[in-house]
Amino acid sequence: MVDTLAKEEVNISELIDRPWITIVWDDPVNLMNYVTHVLIKLFGFSKEKAHDLMMQIHTQGRAVVSTGTREEMERDVQRLHEHGLWATLQRDDKI
Amino acid sequence: MSNFEKIGDGYSLDLTLDEAQILINLVEQLLELLGEGDFFHHYDSSDPLAQLLAMPSEIVTPDDPVLLRLLPNGYADPEAASDFRRYTEPQLRGAKQKNLRLVREQLTVLVDENLGGVIEGLDSDVWLKAMNDLRIALSIRLEINEDSFETFELLPDEDPQKPVYAVYFWLGWLQENLLGLLL
Repeated sequence: MVDTLAKEEVNISELIDRPWITIVWDDPVNLMNYVTHVLIKLFGFSKEKAHDLMMQIHTQGRAVVSTGTREEMERDVQRLHEHGLWATLQRDDKI
Repeated sequence: MSNFEKIGDGYSLDLTLDEAQILINLVEQLLELLGEGDFFHHYDSSDPLAQLLAMPSEIVTPDDPVLLRLLPNGYADPEAASDFRRYTEPQLRGAKQKNLRLVREQLTVLVDENLGGVIEGLDSDVWLKAMNDLRIALSIRLEINEDSFETFELLPDEDPQKPVYAVYFWLGWLQENLLGLLL
């Protein structure tokens, strides 16, 4: 119980401090293996996690790949654009 | 059939002369579209005056759909997108030009000798990004969608777009080939 509460507190403070997200959008050109490769390379995800995110982009049209400050997300979007992925950043509207 | 191979720490690519010429031709077209001017090197300069002078007065959202896809908006909001573009587009454009130039340099060796062969010492990262940008550019011109492979197969051989589709799918095959060695 104590554990759960503590975890929630951390998550809430993280959301307040880090209210920006990077979204990768689906397109019919980027190869599935390429998207997976780029996500592993740029964000250090495991192969499984990168594959799951790639599938989410492919089937749902978009996925959030990173969360952080506005400056951090601008850097992530820039790096994704350098790799030809279609990415945008925005304030996380879940708050 | 051309393909990539892993040799030690690097990669090699086996190409016929025709294939090398097709690739060089595409690379040059894309470089031309991205602007061959090398003003962007000022942005890498640590001299603040050089950086300031190199800043073009106006960087606007590209009209050409290929450029808009290669240099996309970072925000849905037009004002934020325009600010973001002003500060990041020159660097993005420069990074893409740099990859394409490196690929062209390596292809030129084959074509200058007027024969095909193996290019050694390839940087997989540079080649993946350059091939991807070439595919994106072709895909916009061909209006590629999920059903495009079928469209391509049904096109009569004399259709002028058929060879362009063929190059597009060949590049995808090549990229997949290199990725197979990395993943």
